[in-house]
Amino acid sequence: MKNIFYKTFVYTLLLATFACSKKLDTKPTQSIDQSVALKTSSDVLVALTGAYADLGTATFYGGYPFIASELLANSGELNWSGTFQSFTQINNKTIPVDNSFVSNTWLAGYSAINDVNNVLSALSVVDASKVDRVEGEAKFIRAAVLFDLVRLYAKSWNDGDATANDGVPIILTPTLAITADNQVKRAKVSEVYAQILKDLTDAEAKLPAKNSFYATKAGASAMAARVYLQKGDYTNAVQAANRAITVGTSNGISLKAAYADAFPNTVSGNTTEDIFAMQVTNSSGNNSFQTFFSANSRGDIQINPAHTALYETGDARLGLFYNSGGSRYTGKFDYIYGNVRIIRLAEMYLIRAESNFRLNTATGDAPLNDINLIRARVKLPALTPVTLTLAAILKERKLELAFEGAALHDIKRTQGNVAALPWNSTKLVYPIPARELRANPNLTQNAGY
Amino acid sequence: MRKLVTLVVFLCLISSQLLAQTQTVTGKVSDASGIPLSGAVIKVPGTQTVTLSTEDGSFSIKVPTKAKSLLISHIGQDDITVPITSGPLRVTMNATTKDLQEVVVVGYGTKLKRDVTGSVSTVGAKEISNTPATSFESAIQGRAAGVSVSQQNGKLGQGINIRIRGASSVTAGNEPLYVVDGIPITSENLSSNGASTNALADINMNDIDNIQILKDASSTAIYGASASNGVVLITTKKGKAGVSRIDLNYFTGLQKPTGKREFMNAQQYVDYFKQAGAGAANQDFLAGFYPSLASALAAYDTRIATRLTRYSAGNTDWQTAKVNTDWQEESFQRAPLSQYDLNFSGGTEKTKFYISGQYLDQAGIIVRNSLKRYSARFNVDHQMKDWLNIGVNVNFARTDNFRVSNDNAFSTPLQIVALSPITPLIDPRTNLASGALDLVSGNPNTNYPVYYNPLLSVLDASYKTFVNRTFGTTYGKVTFSPNLYFRTEFGIDQLNQVEESYNGKLTSRNSGVPNGSGAYRNTQVLNLTTNNYFNFRKNFATKHDVDVLLGTSYTSRQSDFGSATGEQFPSDSYQKLVNAATKTGASSSSTSSTVLSYFSRIGYKFKEKYLLTLTGRVDGSSRFGANHKYGAFYGISAGWIVTDEPFLNNVKWLKTLKLKAGYAGNGNDRIGDFSARGLYSGNAAYGGQAGQHPTQLANPDLKWEITYGSDFGLEAALFNNRITLEVDYYDKQTSDLLLNKEVPGTSGFSIQTQNVGKLKNSGIEVTLNTVNVRSKNFSWTTNFNFSANRNKITFLNGQVLGGGVNKAKEGEPLGVFYAREFAGADPKNGDALYYKNTPKTDGSVDRTTTNDYNAATDIKIGDPNAKFIYGFGNTVSYKGLDLDVLLQGVAGNDIYNGGGQYMSASGSNGYDNQTTDQLAAWKKPGDITAVPEARLFYSNGTDPSSRFISKGSFLRVKAVTLGYNVSSSVLKRLKIERFRVYVRAQNLFTITKYKGWDPEVNADYQASNINQGVDFYSAPQLKTIVFGLSIGL
Repeated sequence: MKNIFYKTFVYTLLLATFACSKKLDTKPTQSIDQSVALKTSSDVLVALTGAYADLGTATFYGGYPFIASELLANSGELNWSGTFQSFTQINNKTIPVDNSFVSNTWLAGYSAINDVNNVLSALSVVDASKVDRVEGEAKFIRAAVLFDLVRLYAKSWNDGDATANDGVPIILTPTLAITADNQVKRAKVSEVYAQILKDLTDAEAKLPAKNSFYATKAGASAMAARVYLQKGDYTNAVQAANRAITVGTSNGISLKAAYADAFPNTVSGNTTEDIFAMQVTNSSGNNSFQTFFSANSRGDIQINPAHTALYETGDARLGLFYNSGGSRYTGKFDYIYGNVRIIRLAEMYLIRAESNFRLNTATGDAPLNDINLIRARVKLPALTPVTLTLAAILKERKLELAFEGAALHDIKRTQGNVAALPWNSTKLVYPIPARELRANPNLTQNAGY
Repeated sequence: MRKLVTLVVFLCLISSQLLAQTQTVTGKVSDASGIPLSGAVIKVPGTQTVTLSTEDGSFSIKVPTKAKSLLISHIGQDDITVPITSGPLRVTMNATTKDLQEVVVVGYGTKLKRDVTGSVSTVGAKEISNTPATSFESAIQGRAAGVSVSQQNGKLGQGINIRIRGASSVTAGNEPLYVVDGIPITSENLSSNGASTNALADINMNDIDNIQILKDASSTAIYGASASNGVVLITTKKGKAGVSRIDLNYFTGLQKPTGKREFMNAQQYVDYFKQAGAGAANQDFLAGFYPSLASALAAYDTRIATRLTRYSAGNTDWQTAKVNTDWQEESFQRAPLSQYDLNFSGGTEKTKFYISGQYLDQAGIIVRNSLKRYSARFNVDHQMKDWLNIGVNVNFARTDNFRVSNDNAFSTPLQIVALSPITPLIDPRTNLASGALDLVSGNPNTNYPVYYNPLLSVLDASYKTFVNRTFGTTYGKVTFSPNLYFRTEFGIDQLNQVEESYNGKLTSRNSGVPNGSGAYRNTQVLNLTTNNYFNFRKNFATKHDVDVLLGTSYTSRQSDFGSATGEQFPSDSYQKLVNAATKTGASSSSTSSTVLSYFSRIGYKFKEKYLLTLTGRVDGSSRFGANHKYGAFYGISAGWIVTDEPFLNNVKWLKTLKLKAGYAGNGNDRIGDFSARGLYSGNAAYGGQAGQHPTQLANPDLKWEITYGSDFGLEAALFNNRITLEVDYYDKQTSDLLLNKEVPGTSGFSIQTQNVGKLKNSGIEVTLNTVNVRSKNFSWTTNFNFSANRNKITFLNGQVLGGGVNKAKEGEPLGVFYAREFAGADPKNGDALYYKNTPKTDGSVDRTTTNDYNAATDIKIGDPNAKFIYGFGNTVSYKGLDLDVLLQGVAGNDIYNGGGQYMSASGSNGYDNQTTDQLAAWKKPGDITAVPEARLFYSNGTDPSSRFISKGSFLRVKAVTLGYNVSSSVLKRLKIERFRVYVRAQNLFTITKYKGWDPEVNADYQASNINQGVDFYSAPQLKTIVFGLSIGL
C-alpha cells in the first residue's frame, strides 16, 4: 500500500508540474502582440487602413465634430429635439467639462493619431513603391485630426494671439508604454496650425493623384485650403484650393450635374464630387449625420423655417428638404450606408472665390465665375459684378455647405454671432475633457470652464 | 390421529420457522421534549433493513427475530440504540451538541463544524428547494449573514449580484467563486444584448443538498487567487443506503410586478406640454430668437399643437383627451409558472444513487419574456473495493430564455411609459398598432408615436437564448488506510449557448433596417478542472489530532464565440439568416486561460478544544504578466472551545462556546485573459479593406489583487441548544487593485490595466437561532441574521472612476453617487437651481445656489451600498400545519433614477410622458417647489443631480410558506409515504419609501462593480404566489 501511495503522490506532482506549467502561456487569438504587429510592408498597410477605421468612428469623422459645429452655431435655424444629453448641452451652449462627446471626440482623434504615428514609425519596412503613399496618407490623417481638434478645443486662430493661445497637444510618436512623457502640454494654436500645414505639405508632395477612396494629392490640397481659410491666409488658401481643383478635375473629380446627386440616398460609395469622404458600408464605418439629421433614423435635428427662408425662390437645394410628421428634415443624409462627405469639390470653388474676392485676384478663375458655377447648378440666376459681394459669397457658401459641419468655424473666422453670443464667446469652445485633465496634470483648461 | 398430530407439529414448525425469520416492530420517535421526529432512520444493526419515521414520528419495521435492538439516528440528535421489546417502542432522542456536530464542506474535503475555525454560512435544502425563482441565489436572499443578494430587475434569468462581506474589487470580478461538488463552474455573464444573464440559473435548486458559503479569508485561502470574493460550495443530493425514495413535486402559480409608477393621464399630459411650450417660448424670447414674447408663444403653440396632433394619431382627439392610454399596463402580461420535479434516490451500503428530472415553465411579468428549463441529474457513488470508491455526478440542463432588450433600448417593454397617453394603442388610420404603418410611405412610422413603440417588438421581434449545459464530476477515492486517502476529481463544465434574434419589418424604426434583421450568436465555454489531493488524519497519544491536506489542481477555460448577422428578409415568415438577402456581419473569436495550483491545509487539534488551521496555496495563472506568473497565498486560523474547559463544566446553561480568529491573504484573478499584453487587433476594416490597429497597452507587471482579511468570531449554544448564536467581526484590506487607470488620451489609449488601488471592508455579522416553543403539537423557531458592512476605497491614485453618476472615489464606498446638488426651482423664474458647493478661499464650502449647472460642483449625493442587511425568519408548526415567514431587509442605501432625466424632467427633455409628481412644476414668480419650470427641450434641471435620488431602504416579506402534511394514518391507507400541500409566496409585499417600480434594482445595461443602485426603466421584481404539492412514495 505504501508503494501505491508514493507512486500516486509522485505521479500527481510530476503531472501537475510538467504537463501543465507550459500551458500557462496561453496566447490571444483575435488579437496579436504589439511586438509582432508591424513586421512587414503588408502589416503596415493594414495598420494604415485601421487608422482610417479609427478616424471614421462616430465620434470623429463619422460626424460628431461636424454635427457639434452645426449645433454650437445653431441660433434657431435648427431644432434639436434629441435625448442625447451631450448634444443637448452642445446645442444649448452649456457644455459641462464631463460632456461625454467632448471626451470621446478627443479620445477618438488621438487614437487615430497614434495609429498613424505607429504607421510612420514603421515606414522602413514598407515596400519602396508604396512608402510615399503610406507616409502621405498617414500625415494627411494626422493633419486632419489635429485641425478638427484645434478648432474645437481651442480659441479660434483670429481670437487674440494665436502664438499665445493654447491649442492642443501635438503627438508625433507612437505610444508603446505609458510614462511621464505621455503627459504632453498643449502646444500653442499657431504651433498646431504649423504642424498641420507641415504634414499637409508633405502629404500633398507624396500622395498620388488617384488613390481609390483614400487620401489623394487633391485631398491634401483641399484640406490645406480649408486650414488656410480658417487662418484667414487667403493667399495660400486660394493657391491650395486652386491646386485641389486643378489636380482633382484632371483626375476624375467633377461637380455632379444636380445638387441632389451629390447626396445619393440609395447607393454607397463616393460621388465624383467627393474629394475626400469616409467610407460607410453595411459592415464598417458610421454615418452620424444620418443618425441625427434623417427622419429615417433618430431625426433629432429638424430644420426650422428660419433656415429655409434664406433660400432664393427656385433654389434647387430647397428640393432636398422634406416633411415628415409635421417637421422638416434635410435630405442630405438619408442613407444609412452613405459615405460621410468630408470635402466636396464645391467647397474648393467657394474657397477660391472667397479668397480671390478678398484678395481682388482671379487665381484659377474669377470669383464671379466660381460663384455662378455653384449657382447655376442649383438653378439660380447668375450674380453680376454688382451683386457679387462678400456677403453674397458667404451666403452662397452657407447654403451650399449647410449642415455639413462648417457653420461654427465660418462664424468664428468671419466674426459673426450665435444669437446673443459673440463669435469669440468661450461657450463656443469645447472644454478640455475632465478625464484628460485628471490623467494629465500638464494640461490647462479653457477659459470659461 | 397421528396424521393430525403430525400436521399440527408440522404447522407449528412452519409457523415457528416463520416467526424465527421476522417480526414487525412498531414505535414512535420523539425528541427530548416529546416532539415527534420525522425522517429518523431506523436500522437493524448488521443488516440492510432500514425505514424512516413518518411525520408523526411513528415507524413500522420488519426485523429478524434474532435482532435484539434497533439503531436510530436523526440529524441533530444523538444516535441511540434501543432494545426491542414487545409492544410499541417509545424512543426518546437527545439533541446533540447540535450545530457543532454537523459536517461542513470546506473545500477539498469536509470538517466537523466543531472543528471549523473560519466563518461559514450554511443554507440547507429546505430553504432553497421549491422556491419559485429561476436561480438558487434568490433563495438564499436574506438567509445568510454577510451575504448580500440582489437581482438587477424582474426579467427572467437576468443577472444577480452576490456580494459576500462587501465588494473587494473596483474593476475586476466581485462575484464569489462557485464550486459544485468540488469543481468550479462557469458563472460569468454570456449575454450579448447588453444585459447580463445568470449562468447559475442552469442549476436545479431541488438538486441542492446544501450550500456552504466560505466567508472569511482563512477559510477561502484554500482557493488562493480566486478566493477574495468568498466561495460558494454547492453539494448536490445523494442517495441513502437502504432508503428508496420517490419524490414528486409540483407547483403552479402566478406572478405579478411588485410595484408600478404613476404617470400622467391624457389631460394632464396635454396641459403639461402646453405649459412646457410656453416655458420654452419665454426662454427663446429672452435669448433673442423672437422679437416678442407673443410671437414666441404663437410659434410654440403651433409647434406643440402639431406635435400633439401627430402623437394623437394625426387627429385632434388630444384636445378633448378622448384617448387616454395607460401604456405602462401594456408592458406587463399575465404570468403563470409551473414546475415539475421527479426524483429517485436510494441504494445499498455499496452503491448509492440520486436521479432527478425537472421541468420549469415560467412566463415573465414583462411582455414577451419567458423561460423554460429542463434538467436532469444523475449522481452515483459505488464502493468498488474496500479501498476504492468511485462516482459520478452529472447534470444536464437546457434553458430556453425568451428575452427582452436591455433597459436602455427603446424596444425594452418598460420604456413604453415614455409614450404619450394621447396616443391610441391602435392607430385608427390603419387599424394597426400605433407605429406599425405610415400610410404615406407604406413603411412603419418613423416619428409616431413619440418614440418607437415597444409593442411592435412584441408583435414582430424575438430574442431567444438557448443554453445546453452539461457539468459534472467523476471521482475516485483511494483509501490507503483509515488515516489516509487520495482523491482525484475530474470535472467538466460545458456550456453551449445560442442566441438568435430577429427584428421584423415592423421594428424598422428601432432597428434602422427596413426589411428585417437577424442575428445568430454561438458561445461555447469549456471548463476543465482536475483536483488531486491526499488527506491524512490521525490521532496521536489521544490529545493530538492532525488533519493534513496536500494537493494540486489544474483548470483550463476555453471560450469560443461566433456570430452572424443579416438583413433584408423576404417577409416576416422567414426569420433564419439563410433567408437574409444581405449578410451584414460575421465574426468569430475565442479566449482562454489556465491556472495551475498547489495547495495544502493542516489542521491541528489539541485535547479536542484547541484548534489550529494553516492553509497555503500557490497559483500560476496565464492571465498575469510575465513578471508575476505565480502567486502564493497563506492563511492561519485558530479556535478555542471554551466550554470544554473544566471551569465551565458547571455552567449548565452554556452548552457550547467557541472563540475563533483567523488571518489570510486571498487573490482575485478575475480580469481579462490577456490584459497584461500589448495588443493589436485586426477588427479595423475600412471600406471593405482589412485593417488592424493598436488596442491595448502592455503591462508585464500585472498581477492578482490581494485581500488580507482577519476574522474574529464566537459561536455559542445556550439553554440546551434552544438558542444558538454566531457573531463575527471582520476586516479586509485589499491592495494592488486592478484598475483601468486613466491615461492621457493623447497617447491614443484611454486606459491601462494596472495594480494601483486599495480598498477595505469591515463589518459585523450576527446570526441568532432560537427555539421559542417546542411542545408536542406546536413548535416555533426563529432565526435572525444581521450584517453591516462598511466599504471604503482608500487609494485610487487620485482617480475618479465611473462614467455615470456612480463613482469610485478615494475615501468613499464603491459606487457612491456623485452629481450636482439640486436646490429646487428658483422662486423668481423657475430655473433649476443647484448648490454651488465650490470651495471658498477661507476653506468653507459655498452654499449659495446657481442656475448655471457648470458653476456648481459635484458632491456625494448618495450611496448605493446598504448600511446593513438583515433577514428574519419564523417557522411555526402545529400538528400537520406549518408556516414559514421570511422577512428580508436592506437599509441605508440610495437609488438614483437614471430615467428621471426623461420621465421626471419637468417636460424639459422631450415629449416623454412624465411622472405625476412633475405636475408640481413652477408656474409663476413666488412658487416654492422642487420641480423647475416646464420648458420643452430646455433641459431645465434635467442634468444629473440629487433631484433624481431617493432612499432605497426596504423591508420585504420575502417568502411565506404555509404547508400541510397529511397525517401518516391517512397516508398508510393510501400507501403513500409523504403528502404535503403548500401555498408559497415570494416577494409578497414590500415596505419602502421608494417611488419607483421596485427598490431592488440595478439598470441591467450598465450594471457593474461601480454602477449600482440605478433605476432605468428597469422591470420590477416578481411577486409570486404558487400552490404546490409534494408526494413521497
